[in-house]
Amino acid sequence: MLRIEGLKKVYGQRSVLQGLSLHIPPRQIYGLLGPNGAGKTTTINILCNLLNADGGNVLIHNQPASDATKALIGVAPQENLIYKSLTCEENLNFFAQIYGLSKRQRQVQVQSCLAAVGLADRAQSPAETLSGGMQRRLSMAIALVHQPKLVVLDEPTTGLDIEARYEIWELIRHLQNQGMTILLTTHLLDEAERLCQRIGILKQGRIVAEGSLPELRRLIPAQEILTIQTPDEEKAIDRAQTLGFPHRRYGSDLAFWLPKALELKEIIAHFDGIPLDSISRQPVRLEHIYVEITQRNADEG
Amino acid sequence: MKYWHETVAVAQRILLELWRRRRSLIFWSAFPVLVLLLNGMILAERANLETAQAFQQAAPATLVGAALFFSCLGGSVATVVSEREQQTLKRLFISPLSGVSYFLGIFVAHSAIGIGQTLLVWAIAAFLGAQFQGNILLIVLIILLSILSYVGVGFILGTQLARRTEDVNALVAAFGVPLLILGGAFLPASLFPETLLKLAKLNPIYHMNEALTNVAANGDEFVDITSHFWFLMIFAVLMVAGGWLSYNRMLQVERRL
Repeated sequence: MLRIEGLKKVYGQRSVLQGLSLHIPPRQIYGLLGPNGAGKTTTINILCNLLNADGGNVLIHNQPASDATKALIGVAPQENLIYKSLTCEENLNFFAQIYGLSKRQRQVQVQSCLAAVGLADRAQSPAETLSGGMQRRLSMAIALVHQPKLVVLDEPTTGLDIEARYEIWELIRHLQNQGMTILLTTHLLDEAERLCQRIGILKQGRIVAEGSLPELRRLIPAQEILTIQTPDEEKAIDRAQTLGFPHRRYGSDLAFWLPKALELKEIIAHFDGIPLDSISRQPVRLEHIYVEITQRNADEG
Repeated sequence: MKYWHETVAVAQRILLELWRRRRSLIFWSAFPVLVLLLNGMILAERANLETAQAFQQAAPATLVGAALFFSCLGGSVATVVSEREQQTLKRLFISPLSGVSYFLGIFVAHSAIGIGQTLLVWAIAAFLGAQFQGNILLIVLIILLSILSYVGVGFILGTQLARRTEDVNALVAAFGVPLLILGGAFLPASLFPETLLKLAKLNPIYHMNEALTNVAANGDEFVDITSHFWFLMIFAVLMVAGGWLSYNRMLQVERRL
């Protein structure tokens, strides 16, 4: 559905994309992650033909990205770009007209998109009267109104409360079930973990790690992550080193990679003599992989 | 057909937004009515004209010199600036909407408003006894060229100078009001001193006023207003070209998500 090969983009002296390549098969949700400035938005701009690449190819549904492929893509940008004084139905109807849908098609599509995003009962409500989550759903409905082959969701839940996030996640899954291919960019790693079949981690304009979550987990030689709080961190780190547990810091948290799953009493026994305020275990999460990959590449850089 | 559908969509959307907010529509209706009444009464009193004649003379200047200026120029600046502020322009950039359709959509929407204002001003003037006898096609052409000029200037200002809604009022007040006075929208140009009249002849609003007043109120034919007409025509073409270039320049800067 989407194939990007060797994509390059340079702004002045700054190389933003340095040979980005990725492939998204049909009906897949692909998560594109990366720190700010990694090149996510530049990639979307090139996909939408808003920017010209300085090298490489973008094929959307086997066609090179151009004005002609704009109709194949539905984009829900970070902000809710909607006409606030128009009703939900009028917003959708306007964009359906812009995408060249006939009157009959518009009637069907507008109602079907409103139903898909759960706004059928708010069809006649002005967009400005909707909550933030509803406005985001309307923005997504606009992206869907012309039945695109590829849907690009740029940080779809940023700034939303948890309830609204759940609704958006449900909607994204629904879209996939409807047969859509989705490119999702997000800073929320649990969002990518929940939704994406494949994840690409973008760093300084190239994909530095890619795969399904189980595949990415293999990049870290750990079964579990142990996080502890102790007033004597130095001692805990020394003890962990003797046990062969590599240590990492995730923000202010001190964590150890456990090469195999251990019983809680075994863990406590390992740290005998060290005062522990709290202790928690969790499976390797995308957050750990992401920090490791981006950190590793920064160190290599 | 693509351009047609897109143009209609943009025009409908602008009109719908105006209808929803209503405030602008009310102002754009009240303003020409008040200016017409004031202009008509002043002319009747100070130029010793009969009421019907005074309103016949006042209506064209009120329409192209004042009403269309605020609705079509101020309105198109406000449309572009509001799209930039709400960032809905970005959404349009990622859609297949062409720049031509976008411009035409704004032109059609403001033409509809302009036509509404024309009917309002004409109806009130006619109610007060004015009779408009000129060539209707020529009248419509002058009005459309005036609207085109204003929308073109609106595009230039909206894409290049006005970044926020507050800027629209400042721009219209700073440049617009002096141009309107100099164009004869409030005082007939025949009252201007010689030097001011020379300056007025460089002002497109003066030519809009003169052309429409001469045709609609005095019954002149095309040959009688050729200099005004061609000035207006060339100005309209230049403003559309300028508006188009400005729009493209804005695209280069803002065509990003």
